[in-house]
Order: sequence, then structure tokens, then C-alpha cells
Amino acid sequence: MNTHVQSAGVPLLEIRDLSLRFHRQEQVAVDRVSLSITAGRTMGLVGASGAGKSTIARAILRLVTPDSGEILFKGKNIGLMNSQEMKTTRQRIQLVFQDPSVSLSPRRSVEQTLMEPLQHFAIGDMNHRNEKIREILHTVGLDESALRRYPHQFSSGQQQRIAIARALVTDPDLLIADEAVASLDVSIQAQILQLIQKLQMDFGISILFISHDLAVIRQIADDIAVMYRGQLLEQSPADPFFSHPAHPYSKTLLSFAAGKTPSNWTSDKWYLERSRRSADSTSACVFAGFCPDKMAVCEQIEPAVRDIQHKNQRALEPHCVKCHLYDAEQTNDQ
Amino acid sequence: MTPPALKIKELSVWLGTGHGRAPVVDNISFSIKAGDATGLVGESGCGKTMTAMAILGLLPASGVSVRSAGIEVNGKDISGLDSLQRRKVLGRDIAMIFQQPATALDPVFTMGQQISAVYRRHASGSKQHIRQTMLGALESVGFSQAEDIAAAYPHQLSGGMRQLAMIAMATVCKPAVIIADEPTTALDSSTRTLILQQLKRLQTVNKTAILFISHDLAVVSQACQDVMVMYCGRLMETTDCQSLFSHARHPYSAGLLSCIPRISETRPAPINSIPGQVPVATELPAGCHFAPRCTRAEAQCRNSVPKLDHENGRGAACFRPL
Repeated sequence: MNTHVQSAGVPLLEIRDLSLRFHRQEQVAVDRVSLSITAGRTMGLVGASGAGKSTIARAILRLVTPDSGEILFKGKNIGLMNSQEMKTTRQRIQLVFQDPSVSLSPRRSVEQTLMEPLQHFAIGDMNHRNEKIREILHTVGLDESALRRYPHQFSSGQQQRIAIARALVTDPDLLIADEAVASLDVSIQAQILQLIQKLQMDFGISILFISHDLAVIRQIADDIAVMYRGQLLEQSPADPFFSHPAHPYSKTLLSFAAGKTPSNWTSDKWYLERSRRSADSTSACVFAGFCPDKMAVCEQIEPAVRDIQHKNQRALEPHCVKCHLYDAEQTNDQ
Repeated sequence: MTPPALKIKELSVWLGTGHGRAPVVDNISFSIKAGDATGLVGESGCGKTMTAMAILGLLPASGVSVRSAGIEVNGKDISGLDSLQRRKVLGRDIAMIFQQPATALDPVFTMGQQISAVYRRHASGSKQHIRQTMLGALESVGFSQAEDIAAAYPHQLSGGMRQLAMIAMATVCKPAVIIADEPTTALDSSTRTLILQQLKRLQTVNKTAILFISHDLAVVSQACQDVMVMYCGRLMETTDCQSLFSHARHPYSAGLLSCIPRISETRPAPINSIPGQVPVATELPAGCHFAPRCTRAEAQCRNSVPKLDHENGRGAACFRPL
């Protein structure tokens, strides 16, 4: 099936110090983010709307150009690839969007939709392509009668299955799912999550799963990365993250997910948080304004990223936090 | 004894289509007391929004037939009103919060103008009084810079702020009943929690009765005391949220519950889902509509329709309840 990169040490995708600022906006969309995805694992990227999650997904496919930093796919810098190499890379990295009713072309039948990637990347001959399309349809739980039909003839859940089939048809190494279940009913969401879990088990595919919903992330992610206003505040394997969330923002997100409003949050504060520009706070922690555990130092000095790995964790799985609360911990531990 | 804030008796909605008439809401009855919130939950296409539109009388006259033995707001029947009389009721006695504030708000008027317009329709007063009331409504949903929000056009506000402003608009006349149709769907969890907090406040401060429509039982359990589970236009189970979560009796309710992803310290087991999908209204199966998707279904379920027995407002329409 897929050619997996299992060689130890080289992650499938590595993002180093990525920064991106949209022109004509003061806001930094992505601010010095480093992140890596190991082959066969699922990374859950979580944060509120506007945190920069989708911008990272776009940068990986070189749909937007970063101001600084680099993105390595299988060890190769995608910023330096020529158009032919980039085309090959895009075949290996596929994207599933939030709303299938918009991301599928209404004028193409399912067969045309699934055929296009194979034609574009010149994969196989006609027989192979026809076979491949039917195999993929079966994988996502649709039958051959779907081929002649058009997207509007399907329910939203089936449309999302078609969008996933289109992404899988090129046998990608990395699937980026950008809020792929956010616009679906809970029951349909459960069916799509089941499908993604099946893909993880059967194909061992790596997934960058972007979502604002921690409960959905919990269901399928092996690793968690938390973003807030362009910055990565915590990164950890899933189990230690959910048993011992370290960053105050992660704890805030978890209490929101449980339906609890942190005592210091009001409509006003939340409104301010959304409208504030991160350029205001270059010399402080981005979360300082809303942090329940704020200290004097948080307003003055940007915290460094610390590894607070627990004793019982494997050495290759760091638990990184960008917060002054853990400044002391590192010096004591080492 | 005071009548319930909202009482629905034997409400049915039929859609006339090319293939004949199809029931989308099938003989449902329920009531909500002042200060209570009841959730109406089910998958897309189960008739939840049709129920809301029928209660408000917003369905078109042609192609749709609405029958009921009464739709009462504070004991007053609003089901037979003509459109002129209805306009006096909507916004004052009963109001709606829509799923998409972006399309429910008018892009060419400021929020202040739109909220004032609702108030002016039902009450009179000086310009000053109307403005104060409008700003008060915005402040009550948690905006301390109400002046700024009032001066903003809908597109200048984020999705969550628009939804809060729409709650201010729906509540400016302090209606007895609010119908909230998927008010938090597509909002992230922090915004959702703030919106639910505002709906809770309306219940306790204004004693508003809320009909909360959602596909997400997790959200309903945060917002409501009672819950009604709807499938293919029929009420499948009515109970309080706590009982539903601890012991769902209808297999459909149990199915919906198993779909909710949960946060736990250890990695959860693979998620369950309800196989299949909601049938279209013209192709409803005989007997219990859920039978084809139900793992417990027997011959009886496919032949006859189980009745919803309300005992103290609780019951499940099922021959083989859990």
C-alpha cells in the first residue's frame, strides 16, 4: 500500500520556526511555530477560531508563503522545491475541508471528482484508475451506484465521505483534515470519525487533524498541539495532555469543553480577546491578558518553551509548554 | 394555577409534494413552564425546525398544511391568528433566535437600529427611552461597550458577537417564550459556553421559557433541564436530561448519546454511530420509523406504531425500551 517512512528520527513532516503575517493586517497569523508529525500518527491541532490553524495547513501545501521558517516533508524543504517536486509532494499530502457542499464541484459527478486527481498526477492506466476509484468508494462506505451521481444528490455525511475519498485516491502519506467534522450533525460526525479511525488502523495514514473541538480531538489524536493567536502554547502526546494539561490556556479550553466558563471570563473579555491584535503584545505572553494564573513577569517577558516531560513517559515524546509557570521546574529537574 | 408559558397540542405539519403529502411533524404535544428550558433534539431532517416554524406561524400558506388543537403562549391561543395579529405577538410574547445570525440580520442597518425597530413595533416611548432600552438589552447579554456594538453593522461583528446581539434583539421586549434554533452550532466551544450562559440568565432573570433546538445532546444537557428526542417528525422520548444521560430508554436516544465524543484522561474506545440515515419524509417506513436502523427491532415494531406514554412528562415511544 503506502510507502511509509518509518526510519527513526526523521519525522514525516517537520515545521521549524514558521512565521507568517498577512499583508495589510497587523496580526501575525502564525508566530514562530515548530511542530512535527511522525509517520503513522495523528496530530490534533486545536485552538479557537482565528488562532492560525488553517494558515499552517495552507503553508504546508505552499498555498501561502511564510515570512520565515521552513517546512520539511520527508526531510526536504518544500520552500525550495521546484514545481515538479512540489506537484509530487502535493500528491503525498491531501486536504479535506470543512464544508463538503462547497469543496466538491457541483458540476462533476462523483466519478469525475475521483478521477481528476488520478489524471492530474498521471497515476496508472484507465483500468487501474477505474479499479482504484471503486476500491476507494468501498473504503469510505459508498457503493458503485454513487459514481454517476452528483454531490447535491447526497446527504452532507455522504458528501464528506466523497471528499475523503478524493483525498485518499492518490494514496497520500499525510492527510490534512481542516475542521472536517465541524459542520456535521453529531450522528454523522460519529460516522465520519469512525471512518477516520478505520483509515488510521487499516492504512496507518498520518493525519493533521485541525479542530476547535477537544472532544473530537480526544477521539482520534495521538499527539496534541494547542495554538493561541498564532503561537503554539503546548504540545504533548494525547494521554499526558488530557491527564495533566499544563498551560493555563489548555486548562481554559478543557473547562470550556466541559461547559464551564472560567470565573474570569465574561462576554466582554472574550470580545476583547477576539479583537486584540497580537502585535500589541510582542514582549509579553500572548495569553497574559486572560490568564487566570498571570504573574508580573508574564506581562514583561515572553516565556520560553520548556519540556516538562513526566517521569513515566517515553523519552521521544516531549511535553512542551510555553509558560512562565514552568520556568522553575526545568532548573529543578535538570 | 398559571398556564405553562408554551403549550403545544397535537401539532402536525404536512408538506405537499409531487409524490403526495408527507408528514414532517406528526401529532406532537408538549408544554414548557415559565423559566424552564426544554431541548428538542434529533438528527437533521427530523422536523425540529419545522416544529419551530409551525409554532411561530412562519410556514408559507401554500404547499404546507399545519394542524393543531392549539398553540398557547401564556394561555393565549396563537394558532388561529391572521398575519396582522401575529405580528403583534412575534417579538413581544414569543421570539426566535436563528442558527445563522449572518443571514437573519439585515446587513444595511446597524445593530442598534435593528434592535430598536423590534422594540418600537411593540412599545412606544421617547427616542431617549427606546435608545436606553436598546442599550440595556445589549448590556444584559454582557457587552459593556454597548454603544460600540449598537453602532456596528452585522458584518463588523464576529460570529459569536452577532449571535449575542441577536439574543439582545430577541429579548428586548422580554418575551415569555424564546425558540432558539441551533444557536451555538458552528461556534467554537468558548463562544458556545458564553451563549449558553446568556440563555441560562434569561431563564432565571426574565423567567423566559426556552425551546432549545439542537442536534447535539451534549449542548442540550448544558442548556436545558428537560429534553424531547425527535425522529421523523415524532417524539420518541421525553424526559429530563439527567435521566436521559443516566438511562436512555429509547434506542434512538441511546444511539444519539453514543455518538457524542467525550473527553477522558485515558484514550476513549472507538466511537459508536447509528448506522444508516434519516429517511426522507415521502419514504417513511411503516410502524416505528426508527425500526430499520434499530438493533432491537422486532416484527411488532415494523407493523404498528408505538405510542408515547407520558408519565409525569416522561416516556418513550418504544415497544422494546432499554
